[in-house]
Amino acid sequence: MGNVKLEHIVKRYDDVTAVDDMNLDIKDGEFVTFVGPSGCGKSTTMETIAGLTKPTEGTVNISGRDVTNLPPKDRGISMVFQNIALFPHMDVFDNISFGLRLRDYDDEEIQRRVDRAAEVVQLEGMQDRMPEEMSGGQRQRVAIARAIVRNPDVFLMDEPLANLDAKLRVHMRTELQRLHKELDTTIIYVTHDQAEAMTMSDRIAVINAGQLQQIDPPLVCYNEPANTFVAGFIGSPSMNFIEGEITADGFESEYISVDFDPANVGVSVGSKITLGVRPEDVYETSKTEFVDDATAEITARTDVLEPMGNEVFIYLLLSEDAESSMDTSQADDQLLMSTDPDTTLGEDDEISVVLDRSKVHLFDTASGEAISHGLTASAAAPTVEAEEASSD
Amino acid sequence: MATEKPDTHQVLMDDDGEEPDIKRGMFEAWAAKAIKNPKRTYKAMFYTATIFFLVTTLFPFYWLFQVALTPRDNLQDVGLVPSGFDPSLLAQGDITMGTNPGVFLEVFTLIPFHRYMINSFVIATVTTIVVIVVASLAGYVFGRLRFPGKGPMMLLVLIVSFFPPAAFFIPLNELFNTNIDILRPILTDGSLYNTPYAMVVPFSAIFMPLSIFILTTFYAQIPDGLEDAARIEGTTRLGALFRVIMPLSAPGVATAGVLTFIAVYNEFFFSFLMTDGSAENWAPIVDGILQYQGQYEVLFNVMAAASIVGVLPVAILVVVAQEKIVSGLTAGALKE
Repeated sequence: MGNVKLEHIVKRYDDVTAVDDMNLDIKDGEFVTFVGPSGCGKSTTMETIAGLTKPTEGTVNISGRDVTNLPPKDRGISMVFQNIALFPHMDVFDNISFGLRLRDYDDEEIQRRVDRAAEVVQLEGMQDRMPEEMSGGQRQRVAIARAIVRNPDVFLMDEPLANLDAKLRVHMRTELQRLHKELDTTIIYVTHDQAEAMTMSDRIAVINAGQLQQIDPPLVCYNEPANTFVAGFIGSPSMNFIEGEITADGFESEYISVDFDPANVGVSVGSKITLGVRPEDVYETSKTEFVDDATAEITARTDVLEPMGNEVFIYLLLSEDAESSMDTSQADDQLLMSTDPDTTLGEDDEISVVLDRSKVHLFDTASGEAISHGLTASAAAPTVEAEEASSD
Repeated sequence: MATEKPDTHQVLMDDDGEEPDIKRGMFEAWAAKAIKNPKRTYKAMFYTATIFFLVTTLFPFYWLFQVALTPRDNLQDVGLVPSGFDPSLLAQGDITMGTNPGVFLEVFTLIPFHRYMINSFVIATVTTIVVIVVASLAGYVFGRLRFPGKGPMMLLVLIVSFFPPAAFFIPLNELFNTNIDILRPILTDGSLYNTPYAMVVPFSAIFMPLSIFILTTFYAQIPDGLEDAARIEGTTRLGALFRVIMPLSAPGVATAGVLTFIAVYNEFFFSFLMTDGSAENWAPIVDGILQYQGQYEVLFNVMAAASIVGVLPVAILVVVAQEKIVSGLTAGALKE
């Protein structure tokens, strides 16, 4: 028990549609993360599951029950909030046991369960403290203890780590994963931090403008994004997009051309296509030994270098009069690549680069839908298998 | 820099040194110092204002107290001290020193004044409870929910509070003197006249708007997250209001409650007209005080004593509640 099923959920506020026909099927024990930009409807979707807002249309099923019209307390869920939301007038014990006391558990059972929950989140011996006497991380643990003490079917976590400092956030991330392993309960987690999404989830649900874009395991979202939004949102820095057209020889744009047989990927000559390639799949021509199947050389000029320590991001300008801009996803004449930290390249150097054909994504420019992930020189249709083989 | 310092000091010393040369009176000297040091002025203003406030507030109480202590025979001659007060009598073994402290017992022996006090206390307490509960519901709705027509409705509450209570009196008096059949099982003659309901009901209505506005402001400040958390943990919206929102708004609830209690306890107009003035018929304190007024004599000293006794419960309440309000304000700083 503990599966969550959303069917055709729509939530409208006056004339704004916050959630638009959301369909989700989350399995028992799964860790699913909702990611998306601010205001994309991920929190509204979460509140709909929690029962804090009622959907305009559609049904919510939790553990096989239709809970669309049930109040939050009868849904078998618990929630951890972004602002932690501990009751400031109660000590830790009262905070954790709040839900149990409301449900008239006897005192011994309450004590036993609170002790157990405090042990899980490592808060032993702090049950008499008031929330204001605790640090941010401790408060967040109390909030988590309050959520797990009732043994809910489903945990909802609405950006629980957003208000913690960076170091604590990484620590709590591991704690949450440990907790999930220990409790084995369904967890639905809302975040806009894609590092959290990538590291913790079984599946990521990418949401934009109230619509579900893709729900898949993290690496599938990364390697086979369903559309340009997912491709651009997952991965940092974001994927390069180059708009172009299909010719008989393959993809053609002003500065980059990639040749393949259009028939193999199922596109017709003349259709508008967006080519996507991640920065780590752009290589200097001199380092093609890492690439099984490189595209034709592209000459470029380096613009800005961003050394990150373990790698260096290089902004490339493809034409002489290209405007310097950090936003590579917007311009067709710019390309972002990452390379080894020991590179000898400096600013304003002329270099030539190639793309790894097996990691090139093709999207339909008009709809943004993915057409193909990876291209092969051979006649074989580009598939996931081809991609995996080439990455070995 | 270091060399400049003594110079400035020297200049100041010179100025100070000149002062004794001018012949100044006490006030002029004080004013001259105050111009150099404005803090003295602020301090003086503070004390002036405080003393003025204390005198205007406390002098009536002192006056009541000394009138109460004046022996009955000397009532035509009331001064700043009880007439007949003579400290030298203490040496002769008269510890009352010519005053009449026994008046505070007379208050209760002449008429059942304690009944009047209990009446006032019960009416004020019941009204406060009704007001806090109903105003909490209204404050929750106005402070935390969004719905069409919220602004006009709050305005309506405000407008109703502007009506003078006297405007409601005649229709209410008519209503409360009408025998209503369905009330017969609980009220002897089926009318509300001479019952506490005739006061609790209009008081609740009249003092409600103020409490609604106070509580609306306080409830609106409680973060949504806390209410959501309470609802997820297992309360209804109402449960969240009484278990989380109200305790966190304790200062506001205390303020609204104390204001309502004092206003009702001191109320005269409705209390006087909605009862026949007898203690058994829930007449409040003011009616009791008026009982000391006879046909041929007005017992001002007993009335004064009764007034002081009547004020005590409210004075105690305010002292206790103020401590609560202050502690609530300092501890209630919500950190999330």
